[in-house]
Amino acid sequence: MYGGDEVSAIVIDVGSYSCKAGYAGDDTPKAVFPSVVGSIEQTEGTNDSKPEKEGDPAPDSKNGAKPMDVDKAKTKRKLYVGQELEFRRDHMEVISPMKDGTVTDWDIVDTIWNHAFRRRLLINPEEHPMLIAEPSTNTAQQREKAAELMFENYKVPALFLAKNAVLTSFASGRATSLVVDSGGGSTVVSAVHDGFVLQKSVATSPVGGEFLTDCMMKSLESKGVVIRPRYSFKKKEISPGEYKIVDLDLPNTTESYRLYCMRAIASDIKESVCRVPDTAFDEVAYANVPTTSYELPDGQTIEVGADRFKIPDILFNPALSQTIPGVDGFSDATPVRGLQRMVIDSVNRCDVDIRKELFSNILLSGGSSSILQLKERLEKEVLEESPQAARVKVMASGNSVERRFSVWIGGSILASLGSFQQMWFSKAEYEEHGVSYIQRKCP
Amino acid sequence: MANAASGMAVADECKLRFLELKAKRTHRFIVYKIDEKKKMVVVERVGEPVLGYDDFAASLPANECRYAIFDYDFVTQENCQKSKIFFIAWSPDTARVRSKMIYASSKERFKRELDGIQVELQATDSAEVGLDVIQGRAN
Repeated sequence: MYGGDEVSAIVIDVGSYSCKAGYAGDDTPKAVFPSVVGSIEQTEGTNDSKPEKEGDPAPDSKNGAKPMDVDKAKTKRKLYVGQELEFRRDHMEVISPMKDGTVTDWDIVDTIWNHAFRRRLLINPEEHPMLIAEPSTNTAQQREKAAELMFENYKVPALFLAKNAVLTSFASGRATSLVVDSGGGSTVVSAVHDGFVLQKSVATSPVGGEFLTDCMMKSLESKGVVIRPRYSFKKKEISPGEYKIVDLDLPNTTESYRLYCMRAIASDIKESVCRVPDTAFDEVAYANVPTTSYELPDGQTIEVGADRFKIPDILFNPALSQTIPGVDGFSDATPVRGLQRMVIDSVNRCDVDIRKELFSNILLSGGSSSILQLKERLEKEVLEESPQAARVKVMASGNSVERRFSVWIGGSILASLGSFQQMWFSKAEYEEHGVSYIQRKCP
Repeated sequence: MANAASGMAVADECKLRFLELKAKRTHRFIVYKIDEKKKMVVVERVGEPVLGYDDFAASLPANECRYAIFDYDFVTQENCQKSKIFFIAWSPDTARVRSKMIYASSKERFKRELDGIQVELQATDSAEVGLDVIQGRAN
């Protein structure tokens, strides 16, 4: 039991693409920043980045934010989070703490949390209860690790771990639903019944927003489009209103940083022009669709034609990505299913009695759910493959903010309820029962 | 206990009215609401046995969530008088997110207090709690 009504709780959702953090009770998260960090390996004794700095035209010395030093003896690396990532640094690699939707590098998560609390929300974590949203696929060990970090490193007064799918389902007013969460790094389908995630129903796929972005980038490259990352050139005004692009030579930029910057542009192209086709994509039929123009940061304008429809269709037909030159194939170990197949398989792994209800309560959430026409197409595809008697209904909040942040919003409301205060896993309980008690308090 | 349950308590009256409906059949329906200040589920309205489905449907607000119990009388094909007790989680799409979240996260705990529910429905618009749906689920 934790009785701290007077200080507001903090809600944090570290996704594979972005981290959302803010105060419980708010409508939207205060801080949203990338879940990846920049890392520079530190060699012992000598600071070898110094001599190169003189020749470095990147404005990182002017940048007001001081890099946070999380240099620990064992890792010997400097991590840069949030806005610090926007400045190119020599030898800085971009790394992600997640792989396939689960955390693999806790050091980075720790850095991200720290950044969110101390630099973005400007709070002392020792004073605020924390509600953490976690993926349905988290194992017991991962939950305990998260709890231990929170209590030991941040000394939080109370903690709660809530499952993404449950928060999304509740925020839409449903205790029973099939949650299709298409995020950045992966897409997860999970059935929720009376507030429980049915673990055997959880289906995951690596096809998420980032994969689509990569496909978009590779496809444009194969057509001869050169995406210049913003850091790699300077715009010079030669006469009023007329600019000249000057390429900069930055040999120490890492490949991962270059890719990170190019992805940011490709992602914007994707968000600006793509829409899901009404029926399965067909190369011939779409050969002559009207193109849409898009202006790249360096001023060149590109025309996007069939890719507008082809890229989003990969969600339904992942094999389509293999027709794009340069896109890595999926590992053979786990066949990658299309969205409609995942939905059907997930429902079929649930009890017969609730299947009908799941079919009529499919909830679409996550960043990729904002692609135009996704809802309509998913409904159509599922309807074709579902049993005759089932009434298929796919729902997505009409408000794109609610769709993107449904998990966070659910957590925000929950943690702000007066009645919820008794549900927290408190520091006292942690000290008395140990970390494994989290499994009982937050099942 | 469900993951992410709200911890909302249930007023004794909720159970009492339900038992009356179940055992003595003194109500046609009961509408419950959540009182956030009191941190508990309370009875908002009870309907007399003479009232019918239409009166019940009219007592569900268009833009707010509620829980409801409805005692449905019907005649089977074998000409047998029967009744079924429905539990309805009313959560219209037009309701505020906060309201939806509170009702959904309190439902499991609340439902457990009412022993004797025969059919459960979750409805987001009036069509999903229509008389035809109730008829269909009763059989």
